[in-house]
Amino acid sequence: MKNTLQKTLAGAIAALAMLITGCGPSQPVLNVYSWSDYIDEGLVSDFEKQNNCKVIIDTFDSNEFMYSKLKAGAKGYDVIVPTSYMAKLMFEQKLIEPLDLSKIPNAQKIDKLYLKNLAFDKTMKYSVPYMLGYTCIAYNKGKLGKIDNSWNVFSREDLKGRMTLLDDMRETIGAGLFFTGNKINCVDPAALQKAKEQILKWKKNLAKFDNEVYKIGITSGEFLVVQGYSGDILQAISEAKDLDMMIPREGVSISCDDLVIPVTAQHKDLAYKFINFVCDPKNAARNMAFTCYFSPIPEAKKYAKGFDVDMLFPKSLYTTGQLIQDMGEKNKLFIDTWDEIKLDQK
Amino acid sequence: MDSRSVIGRFFSKIKHGVPEWALSAPSVVWLLLFFLIPSLLVFAIAFRTADPSGGIDDGWTLETIKNVLRPEYVWVLWRTVWVSVAVTVICLLLSIPVGYWISRQNPKYRYWYLLIFIMPLWTNFLIRIFAWRILLNPEGFLRRALIAMGIIPSDVFLLNNIGAVIIVTVYTCLPFAILPIYAAAEKFNYSLLEAAQDLGASRFKAFYSIFLPGIRRGIITAILVVLIPSMGSYAIPDLVGGVNGEMLGNKIAIRASAYRNLPEAAALAAMLSIIITIPIIVLWLRQRRVAKTTGSALKSHVEGGLVK
Repeated sequence: MKNTLQKTLAGAIAALAMLITGCGPSQPVLNVYSWSDYIDEGLVSDFEKQNNCKVIIDTFDSNEFMYSKLKAGAKGYDVIVPTSYMAKLMFEQKLIEPLDLSKIPNAQKIDKLYLKNLAFDKTMKYSVPYMLGYTCIAYNKGKLGKIDNSWNVFSREDLKGRMTLLDDMRETIGAGLFFTGNKINCVDPAALQKAKEQILKWKKNLAKFDNEVYKIGITSGEFLVVQGYSGDILQAISEAKDLDMMIPREGVSISCDDLVIPVTAQHKDLAYKFINFVCDPKNAARNMAFTCYFSPIPEAKKYAKGFDVDMLFPKSLYTTGQLIQDMGEKNKLFIDTWDEIKLDQK
Repeated sequence: MDSRSVIGRFFSKIKHGVPEWALSAPSVVWLLLFFLIPSLLVFAIAFRTADPSGGIDDGWTLETIKNVLRPEYVWVLWRTVWVSVAVTVICLLLSIPVGYWISRQNPKYRYWYLLIFIMPLWTNFLIRIFAWRILLNPEGFLRRALIAMGIIPSDVFLLNNIGAVIIVTVYTCLPFAILPIYAAAEKFNYSLLEAAQDLGASRFKAFYSIFLPGIRRGIITAILVVLIPSMGSYAIPDLVGGVNGEMLGNKIAIRASAYRNLPEAAALAAMLSIIITIPIIVLWLRQRRVAKTTGSALKSHVEGGLVK
């Protein structure tokens, strides 16, 4: 009796062990931590086939959440895709490591003009640029007709309750700073005060400050004017033909997301291969078609089929667009301004 | 055989073999490790200094507490409290008739009726909120119908305001209010209502002064399970609230992320915990009195489980 039980148990354990180890020799796994819908799925499976590995993509929806998770000791990611200002902070905080560019031959193809004029990490010491985007305004052309390219659209009282600004401290205060004639990284208290007063005027006409639902909202007709990120907005426009977009002449912010390797990465070789893979011009072109964001690899333009690369990122933004910087201690000024904007009850 | 009695017998079997403290040990350890200690840590972090890169420094300070007690926050606090109370009151007004009605149905079908009210919980919470966004959409059928019927003026929106926050929160909390009230109503002895009417009480009077006190424990449980989660609400005001729809939960979230100020997030969270503790203590004291006065007749296992 006892013998049968032991045999059954041994059999069960063996079966379980086979189930767990399962399909032959185990494949290495590359863990990527990125934004949602930010890479063509076809590319991921190509990479898996080429390197006989498995890629797991985990997503975040704000740099700050990703950062606080890492800062709290999260491990296991091999490649992360933070925005430039956050990559800089992560490097200063020793959360990501210096890159060995000899392992990323395609990094040579990154636009020199971008690196020289805009990038924080000009020598790609710790990050390789992945995608560029900018903040702009989408509107319902079917209902509103063509509208003037200015942030002042948010003053229109006839659109009360049908417009949104981003729920993002830097982007939204940035819009106020641009409109009142300042730069996005301005930390002059008087200028911030003026920007605040401007945004409070706009706030009366807003449905809400929003990062999550504006894309669905503008497509469904709920919102008529929204501030948003270029990739999202271009995707929305391709889905609904009533929509159009404009780039306010007072100025817009641009941002770049970078590929970085955290110090805790466990599959560094695979991580380097992955970064090199997405920097291949052909792959970058496929990614642009999928995400509607702009790859800073000029050669990719050759392989772009069925869409106009310059639509994704107008050339003029190379000189007029402004990158958001992390202001360190001075961040407090933005925090206080944003708090006052949010808490104002008038 | 009824499945409940099988489970009951199983537990009573265990009870005879194992001392009582051993049975409660797992839940005590669980609460200690994952509730009490983290809560105390939150209170402690509120007194630490923040470093601008998002960490917690070694120093101690009272500045954070002073900062979150600024008068501007009273607005957010006040909104959090009144919205939660409004949600609780509406939930009670809706769930008492529903609980009464189900408990009066043929026992064969009661669980089916209950199931209808619980079924929405099978769908993900966020998906249900997004469904409400479609329903209340300014271009949607509902708003246009209300305007066409002259019920609302054409410049009123159903979405992105405090009303939407209340409607959606009531919707998500309602099943949790119906359950304990139904559980109490099911055990209520309805011949008492007939007796009251025989003795000259009106139907309303009988309902009000016999039925409601009779299901008091169910009502108290319902208040707790609705009031507490709505005070900590975060996703609903974020998704359907407007420019002035933020509640305390949203303020905590932004401090833990964009502001990189964990001590301030902790101070607000501690404040929320304290505010939530007040109704719990009040209701707990009341419930003890109720338990004493009504005795064991109204004790119900289902309820007991939910109160915890």
